[in-house]
Amino acid sequence: MITVESVAAFRAGVRVLEDVSLSVPAGTVTTLVGPSGSGKSTLLRCLNGLETLAAGSVEIAGHRLTPGPQPPRRLELLRRDVGMVFQQFNLFPHLSVLDNVALPPRVIRKTPAAAARALAQTLLERVGLAHLADVRPTALSGGQQQRVAIARSLAMEPRVMLFDEPTSALDPAMSGEVLEVILGLARAGQTMVVVTHDHSFARRVATQVAELVAGRVVRQGTAADLL
Amino acid sequence: MNWCRVQGGCLAVALLAGAVAVSTLAAGTVAAAELAEVMARGELIWAADQEGGGPHVFLDPENPRQLTGFEVELAELLAAELGVKARFQQGQWDRLPLLLGRTADCVINGIELTPGRQRDYRCSRPYFAYSLQLLARRDSPLTAFERLESGGPHGRWRVGVLTGSAAEIFMRGRAGLEVEVIGYDGTVDCLEQVTAGVLDATVLDDCIASFYADRFPQLRAVDRPQAGGFYTVLTSPDTPRLSARIDEALGRLLSDGRLKQLYDSWDLAGRQQILLLRDADEIPPALRDSWAHLLRSALPLLLSAAGMTVLLSAASFPLAILIGLAVAIGRLYGPPLLRPLLAGYVEVLRGTPLLLQLYALFFLLPKIGLALPALAAAIIGLALNYSAYESEIYRAGLKAVPGGQFEAALALGMTKWQALRHVMVPQAVRIVMPPVTSDFIALFKDTSVCSAITVIELTKRYSVLALSTGRIVELAVVTAVLYLAMSWPMALVSRWFERRLERTGAARQP
Repeated sequence: MITVESVAAFRAGVRVLEDVSLSVPAGTVTTLVGPSGSGKSTLLRCLNGLETLAAGSVEIAGHRLTPGPQPPRRLELLRRDVGMVFQQFNLFPHLSVLDNVALPPRVIRKTPAAAARALAQTLLERVGLAHLADVRPTALSGGQQQRVAIARSLAMEPRVMLFDEPTSALDPAMSGEVLEVILGLARAGQTMVVVTHDHSFARRVATQVAELVAGRVVRQGTAADLL
Repeated sequence: MNWCRVQGGCLAVALLAGAVAVSTLAAGTVAAAELAEVMARGELIWAADQEGGGPHVFLDPENPRQLTGFEVELAELLAAELGVKARFQQGQWDRLPLLLGRTADCVINGIELTPGRQRDYRCSRPYFAYSLQLLARRDSPLTAFERLESGGPHGRWRVGVLTGSAAEIFMRGRAGLEVEVIGYDGTVDCLEQVTAGVLDATVLDDCIASFYADRFPQLRAVDRPQAGGFYTVLTSPDTPRLSARIDEALGRLLSDGRLKQLYDSWDLAGRQQILLLRDADEIPPALRDSWAHLLRSALPLLLSAAGMTVLLSAASFPLAILIGLAVAIGRLYGPPLLRPLLAGYVEVLRGTPLLLQLYALFFLLPKIGLALPALAAAIIGLALNYSAYESEIYRAGLKAVPGGQFEAALALGMTKWQALRHVMVPQAVRIVMPPVTSDFIALFKDTSVCSAITVIELTKRYSVLALSTGRIVELAVVTAVLYLAMSWPMALVSRWFERRLERTGAARQP
């Protein structure tokens, strides 16, 4: 599903990834671990084109990324098949929870409003938040917001889900509820790449673990081996 | 430090300062300079508007630093009779009487003798007899004054006059005319608009018409002069001795032939003038209108002008917002080549006065064949000018939306424009609601500038009414109340939007 070949990338003029290669089979979960500044988030953001490649290539869900700026259309199509969940949730505060989740299919797929809302309702049930559909995101706890963010990404039925430190901004109790949702996705066979500091979570969910240090993959293997 | 008490203290100081200021103003203006002070000073300060045009007071085209005109020389003659020098004070023509007792001792600028002015100021004996002359283009179907009683080829005749002048009072007062009377601040502007075809005709004092006849050969006098009256020197009611001395001086200039000499040198039919002035009738003093009568006559005029103010604001501001938003988006997200052009647009419109922009739209465009009606020019001018300020506000608003919002929208697969439309702009608009409402209130008051291109809005209507009725302070209060009544709802709307903003909240970092 994902093939990363000899990728290099810069961030603010600094080389943060060097000759990174990685392969993620469909239906598996790969976690990226490593110290702060090792390039884990940058690698993740390379997978959906939020960072530009300086060298190498990325093949993801049938889309291909090459070095340099990519045509906007290529990125838009890629991102419809690759969902991303951010550390800061990034829910849209001017919309209700339900409208947040219904927005992508409505705007991007031109799904009629009623159908989009029905889909959103189903997804909210899946993450256990159907009762908060008409509430504004700012009224939710961090854990609840992150679960809504996951539901919003799932609304586009992505073939791959990317998670950028999904629980780093949450306390242990809230982390637990988010991790349960992610585990549920893993059991359902969703291909995922997760950047995390939480080793115990990685052990529970990961099919394979890749460790980055200073922009390079130093170790790769199963969670049992590495953690 | 108790913050609430500090704020309360500041508010109390501001209110006290305001009360002192208001009571000072209400206590009356600075005492007018009587004869003795003028003599001691050695100068007679006389006020006129050098933009009013010839032959009264204007800048010499050969020597633009030099003021010239028959009234300039008359002022010098009068001052010499008083044994002092003449010093010129510039003011806007329809507000000259306000300078009396403050920065001028007298006004000598084609001020027509009317019962209203007799009531509120001291008017000297007449020093010039004028008639009102109708002017139109040579090819115009307007061949006689009576033609104004039936409509013209495009409906009502559009006739320009000098705002606040006897011509305006005459044209508005004549019943049975199918005319739209439009007020201008300057004679030349008015004559140019007749030449350009924007106006059908103008009514001016005959001495002005003959002065500019050579400069505007496409215009001709229509019919004989209508109506007529006299010019007078205005002085403050508080300076009877100065006024009396000026009257005596005028009498001497009249009888010993110097006035005739002056008028002959300016080709103003000196002998006829002298004969008319010597035979001028006494004009009886008029009674002061009651307050109730004033309100009954003034209020409908003020209210309809207030309606124009609202129309100008309500039509131009949404336009300003749309253009401003488009410019802001273009500068932040548009093609790189477009950005410096948009930045230039903002700097030009922000960096030049609104008044100049309105002049350009209304007076300059006809010269390249595009004549905008005054109302359209006013709305477009206000919209363009304010769009520059709104674009900066929206640019700040868009930048204030946390970056993660745009990224999240893109990561979902939205195009840049979908992200802007559904995620960025809705949030930016909420964030900048307070400064935008503030700008609307500012634009609301800036509509008063539109009077320079003949749109009668509330401030101009006040100004004209105040000077013709003399009730400057009372009408000012009424006008201010009207303005507050219109802008206060805006303040309420602004606060309502702010409360909504707090409830929905902009995106915050968790």
